[in-house]
Amino acid sequence: MTKNNGDTTIATVTTTSATPTETPALEAVLRQHAEQQYAEELAELAKHDDRQRPPNWQLSPWAVRTYLLGGRLPNGFEVSPKYIGNARLIEIAVATLATDRALLLYGVPGTAKSWVSEHIAAAVTGDSTMMIQGTAGTDESAIRYGWNYARLLVEGPSPAALVVSPMMRAMQEGKIARIEELTRIPAEVQDTLITILSEKTLPVPELGMEVQARKGFNVIATANNRDKGVNELSSALMRRFNTVVLPLPATIEEEIDIVDRRVASLGRALELPAEKPALEEIRRVVTVFRELRDGLTADGKTKVKSPSGTLSTAEAISVMTNGLTMAAYYGDGVLHADDLAAGITGAIIKDPVQDRVVWLEYLQTVVKERDGWKDLYRACHEVL
Amino acid sequence: MTLHIFGVRHHGPGCARALRDALEELQPDIVLVEGPPDAHGVLPLLLNAAMKPPVALLIYVPEQPRRAVYYPFTHFSPEWQALHYAFRKQIPARFMDLPQTIQLAREPEQPTPPDGSPENTPIPDDSLTPLPRTGEGPGVGDLPAAAGSAQPHAEPNADVPSDISPLPQTREEPGMGDDPLAMLAEAAGYTDHELWWEREIEQRRDATGLFEGILEAMTTLRGDPTPKNEEEAQREAHMRQTIRAAIKEGFQRIAVVCGAWHSPVLASLDNPDDAKVARADAATLKGLKQVKVEATWIPWTNSRLSYRSGYGAGIASPGWYTHLWTAPDRATIRWTAHAAHLLREQGLDASSASVIEAVRLAEALAAMGELPMPGMNELHEAIQTVLCNGNDTPMQLIREKLEIGETMGEVPAETPIVPLQRDLEAQAKRLRLKQSPEIVTLKLDLRNETDRARSQLLHRLRLLGVEWGKPQHIYGSVKGTFHENWELKWEVEFVVALIEQNIWGNTVESAANGFARDQAEKADELPALTALLNQVMLAGLPDATEHLLTRVEALAAVSADVRHLMDALPPLAEVARYGDVRATKEEQAKRIMPVIAALFARVLVGLPGACASLDDDAAAEMVGSIDNVQRAISDILNSDDMRADWLPVLRHLVDMETVHGLVRGRCCRLLLEQHALDENELQRLARLALSPVVPADQATAWVEGVLRGSGLLLLHQDGLWRALDAWLVDLTPETFVALLPLLRRAFADFETPARRQMGEKVAKLHTAPTGALGFEKPGQGANDPFASLDHERAAKVLPVLAQILGVAPVKSGAAGDSGGDA
Repeated sequence: MTKNNGDTTIATVTTTSATPTETPALEAVLRQHAEQQYAEELAELAKHDDRQRPPNWQLSPWAVRTYLLGGRLPNGFEVSPKYIGNARLIEIAVATLATDRALLLYGVPGTAKSWVSEHIAAAVTGDSTMMIQGTAGTDESAIRYGWNYARLLVEGPSPAALVVSPMMRAMQEGKIARIEELTRIPAEVQDTLITILSEKTLPVPELGMEVQARKGFNVIATANNRDKGVNELSSALMRRFNTVVLPLPATIEEEIDIVDRRVASLGRALELPAEKPALEEIRRVVTVFRELRDGLTADGKTKVKSPSGTLSTAEAISVMTNGLTMAAYYGDGVLHADDLAAGITGAIIKDPVQDRVVWLEYLQTVVKERDGWKDLYRACHEVL
Repeated sequence: MTLHIFGVRHHGPGCARALRDALEELQPDIVLVEGPPDAHGVLPLLLNAAMKPPVALLIYVPEQPRRAVYYPFTHFSPEWQALHYAFRKQIPARFMDLPQTIQLAREPEQPTPPDGSPENTPIPDDSLTPLPRTGEGPGVGDLPAAAGSAQPHAEPNADVPSDISPLPQTREEPGMGDDPLAMLAEAAGYTDHELWWEREIEQRRDATGLFEGILEAMTTLRGDPTPKNEEEAQREAHMRQTIRAAIKEGFQRIAVVCGAWHSPVLASLDNPDDAKVARADAATLKGLKQVKVEATWIPWTNSRLSYRSGYGAGIASPGWYTHLWTAPDRATIRWTAHAAHLLREQGLDASSASVIEAVRLAEALAAMGELPMPGMNELHEAIQTVLCNGNDTPMQLIREKLEIGETMGEVPAETPIVPLQRDLEAQAKRLRLKQSPEIVTLKLDLRNETDRARSQLLHRLRLLGVEWGKPQHIYGSVKGTFHENWELKWEVEFVVALIEQNIWGNTVESAANGFARDQAEKADELPALTALLNQVMLAGLPDATEHLLTRVEALAAVSADVRHLMDALPPLAEVARYGDVRATKEEQAKRIMPVIAALFARVLVGLPGACASLDDDAAAEMVGSIDNVQRAISDILNSDDMRADWLPVLRHLVDMETVHGLVRGRCCRLLLEQHALDENELQRLARLALSPVVPADQATAWVEGVLRGSGLLLLHQDGLWRALDAWLVDLTPETFVALLPLLRRAFADFETPARRQMGEKVAKLHTAPTGALGFEKPGQGANDPFASLDHERAAKVLPVLAQILGVAPVKSGAAGDSGGDA
């Protein structure tokens, strides 16, 4: 039938994460799941949540909103914001799930689509691990089910020989299945979702049975609208999703805030010895990224060319962490322009010819002239 | 005797519905409405079947029509409902506000600005603005138009950038009275006052106790009943006096409909110790200056009800309110279904299943926001998420067509004359132009001031769609830009057009200005804009011109279509040239040149790319555009600098292999005309373009491109003719027949003498020594059909032939040749 590798891997992931709270070696994990990292917040929210919950939800829609947008609970407990930006978008997303519709988070790369998807799943069902990674090689068995061939040969078709996909498991348990990068999945594989979303059932003809989704089952998918090699979604599939477009941060202050928070939490996770970067450095990186992205300087006076990359907030975050690492291990522990230069240049120059011209032009016309940016200008020139 | 105060907000379905029900229940014997008593004369028209809201009451000073106020009404205006109720029940209805005879007189007399001055505004009377900051308050404080400030031009505001009027000193009205609702909304925890009001009042279906509640809230809010300024004092005094008069006349159940803000000070008139206040009111109103005003109804539009148009007491979404007013039930579902219909009309997918999901999502959102029913925001979020796949672009459509709506009101034919008409009549009289249905020809010399004013008037009217004068082409000896010929004919329908256009302004100038600006906003293609710019320049509207130039610049920067840029050049160049003749302000002429230069620079960069891989039709259009640029820079502007940049581009095009033959041929021709191509070079190009490897249709197109236009210039280009001849001779008979129509077309434009001369030319080519230019082709002699001709013998036949054909005999054998070529 299909290759077995993928299925077993998924199966392994499934078993390890089935009981997240009991895992003793949690501290050693590089990146914790949302429901692990924010277990305390989720517990506090649940404690104070006395409002109506849709079937099989761990929290009420209002509490889910508070979890994502942050807020203060009656007992003074502070819930940290997970998504900074338009609160209405989160409300629409949560309301979508509450009406039993599948949710499609759409947008350019690096706009926190997967992040939001993971956190919503964690808040709604307490489990964000039922995830299918969409790739060009994702086949039907990753979405429906596969077979354990050894068993199949020995015992013949039986429920025990079935390798259950995260989607099937979510249906059985009435939880939320996540599909990452839906547009990367080949169109014919995407089509398998149509029945799941409209009939809420997954037939297994080989065993003469079907899995009917329990209440609470839903799907959150994320998709890119600007990338290479995307498979456009058919309108039949599109129709079954409510689409929420996550925008790039609206203002520079918002973007700085996002970068600052994420850099701080990443720095903690990676145990970087360097000092937290000054807001000023973050502002510079964010400004450079925004100006190049918008094709216009912040004062609105000079037009600049835009490079081919997306220069998302996520990239700004990785440039900052990269700089922090450089400063920690090779510098004096304080973030300077030369620690950032290589990261910025690498993020901007994705096409060695055209983007180089764009970056050089920007350095010459904008960075060079700006007060207090001399160090950045010199550092970037050295790297080029 | 009982006095009932209904404090309302000027446009709102909830208020209107509640008021209608309350009146039905109360059965008053008189209705007093906050509004201009000056309009009593035209009020009965309200019941006329032809009256279709939205409409506006227009009060204006007949001598200075630009001093005016509008009071817009629509179905869901509580005032409209109250008046309707009264007329239906045949009980008296009176307006009780301070008459505009006084309000309009308050403004110091201003000299009427001469035509062409910049203080025209599209809505010259945004006096509709009761609040210093427009667009925020839902305007409870005051009746729409008359509002806090009755100046003809009240607030310069952000939404109507044209409102540059320097005249009206805007009176700042600080204090919380400016937006009492803002206070209430903030107290309720809303940042958006409009939203709060909509949720609390407009969506309410059960209105029991609503007006008592409003009165109480306002009494608390106002606290101190002292009016905030003299003007408000006078207005409130007058309202009280009107109510007292009604009490005195013995009416038993008096219904008073006023802006919520005024409700507290009108409520306590039925108590006995009112006499003191009454005396004070009489004193306040004594001896106020008056001015003569007239009132009429004019049609209004939904978009002008929205505060986006600069109407301060406006509402955010007239379309939504109309919907709430008209939808009998299930407003949410109806609205979503309307949106789906709209999307389908545009060819977008919107299935019923999606409508169901959108409604469900909207209801879930309302539940999350703890609302009884989804408001417009929830609906639009749901529609965007479900029906538009998160895409914002189709939402623009829904906002324009549904949220604002495109409804335009109508007024009955009996409605009194509008100020625009009056202004036109006054101007026509001054300029001695007679509105006669006979055709009159008018010759204008623009150097003469009266004639220039006449021309401007006619052009302005043309802009407004009143084609009283039709410009005539000038033939013959009268040359120069300062002459204009017109044909005048007055049609009766023009009156209707004037009533409709009155919405843009009360004078011909301001209306034309407002209309042109609106058109400029709507136009999204450069050629349309520049054509409009030309019209506006001719009509002498500096303000609209400035606006248009800004629009042109903005569009040019993003326009991807080079041909649009090219076609925009001639009208712009024409405009730049008017400067001197039409006494256009010099800065304005100066302002145009940079725009032209920027456009031209973009053309230079984009042209080679735009010329690549064109089909026949596109090539023909491109040639037209190239000719336009040529005309703009050499005929109209005659700029050597531009020509110096232009010629190399043409030269580049000639050499580009991927460019259509017609375009390349035309470029050759243009270069030749400007002496940028010498004879040898032309011959080389001709031979390249006509060499056997070039597909025959491309070669023909090239020939057509070169030959088009005057033939005389070509007569001296021996090299061209030789190349052409050799090419023709090499064609196979089939190809030749196939190309014949195209070739004929190439020669068709020439006049007969030129054609004959060309024939002679070709005949001579063969007698002239050709070897010197190295042109002789192997085997050509054998192919030449004329090589074996005995000229002497042929000449003998000619006189007879000439007789048969009835033409004068020709001297040589050229006639035969020219026939073969042309």
